[in-house]
Amino acid sequence: MTIEVLDPTYEESPSSFSAASRVGSLQGLTVGLVSNGKQNTVPFFDAVETELRQTYGVAEVIRVTKGNYSAPAGPQIMDDAKRWHALVAGVGD
Amino acid sequence: MPARNGTSAFAACFNGWVSATSALTAGRLNFEDAAALQEHFHANGWSDGLPIVAPTATAVGACLEWAGLSAGHIVGVEPVRKRALTAEKIAINAVMAGCLPMHFPVVVTAVTAMLSEPFLLHGPTASTGGSAILLIVNGPIRNEVGMDATFNALGPSDRASTCIGRSVQLVLHNLLDVRSGGSDRSTFGHPGKISFCIAEDEENSPWKSLAEERLGDPFVSAVTAMAAMSPRQVMNEWTTEPEQILDTFVAEIRANMAHYSIWPGNYAMVIPPQLREHFSAAGWTKADIRSYVYEHARMLRKEWAECGKGSVVADKGDREYAALPDPDHLLVVAAGGPAGGFGAVVPPWLGTRSRAVTVPVGACVDC
Repeated sequence: MTIEVLDPTYEESPSSFSAASRVGSLQGLTVGLVSNGKQNTVPFFDAVETELRQTYGVAEVIRVTKGNYSAPAGPQIMDDAKRWHALVAGVGD
Repeated sequence: MPARNGTSAFAACFNGWVSATSALTAGRLNFEDAAALQEHFHANGWSDGLPIVAPTATAVGACLEWAGLSAGHIVGVEPVRKRALTAEKIAINAVMAGCLPMHFPVVVTAVTAMLSEPFLLHGPTASTGGSAILLIVNGPIRNEVGMDATFNALGPSDRASTCIGRSVQLVLHNLLDVRSGGSDRSTFGHPGKISFCIAEDEENSPWKSLAEERLGDPFVSAVTAMAAMSPRQVMNEWTTEPEQILDTFVAEIRANMAHYSIWPGNYAMVIPPQLREHFSAAGWTKADIRSYVYEHARMLRKEWAECGKGSVVADKGDREYAALPDPDHLLVVAAGGPAGGFGAVVPPWLGTRSRAVTVPVGACVDC
């Protein structure tokens, strides 16, 4: 005789999404850097920004910080991001 | 949100009892014996390392029937991952944790509190800080389900407390993937992440219950959820003066501010009978305690230099930080065994990023 039990996990399919198209070269593009707001993102993103500009020819780097590092980015950031070619979401601790 | 008392309020949310077992939609798993079942659950990371109770359709259906909830009833939606948690899935995890059907309304209420926006569930459950979820249960339901607020109040005091606290951890684990190294990035965590649930000793307390203070109803059964670090035990048996007793608690809060996090937020203070007698004799209410702690639990940023954190004092050395944004952020709870001048301070996960939430048992968010 077998024991039948119920699956304890979340069985719903996650809502479908597809990755954004890749930009290929970063030359001349606008890239957003979204910081989670922790102190050590500052020097880290400073270095990333320098690398993006000097090595990859990024035209503009937009630096923004989430209002709460434990919550998703707010609507303003999400709206602004529509005007960027690429985005890096960074977690610093 | 209407506040209703007792488990019967759940039934009032629906048109009659549901045929619980026939309406279950979770996937079915079959095992040759109990040992195979245990090993499968552990191998898949569906437990916390302890054995689980088999979540059979009968046991899960009994929980739903007790609470008067349909299997598909959505208890809440996790705000970041947008996952809707159904009563059925929560009941499965409650059974696994060892809950009896009568415990289930408390579990549902706890999950409701955790999923509310001010709690910001994703933060404390994902953070390297390693907090757990402290549940504080008030009202008649404590006695109905057999919770004990006296001996071992912060430990293995009774079956109901342990199983209810474990339930919410398994819900996080299995329904939101809050697993070690998964979305749970805790550096250490603490033992409360197995189970962290207490009742308030209302019968032996001179004070209003936590739930009455926060909801304004002296007869309400309610659950307060708080993103909490591990409890820090204090002791002062050498005075009867409320101020001196509280100075000991304040010293512990200040130590937490120095050693862990300086940011103000909810703190819980658990006060046992031996110390409650002194407050009562002096006519001190919980409000008096909150006021005193609010005024005294403060430190200057430059004090960080005394514990090795001088590098972040910068030019803000004379800035004063309070442990509490306001007196109401202190949760004063009467609990503990009859002897001993101990107490406990339970610090917040991280300031006010997550706020303690109190929900009445039986509150139905969509009725």
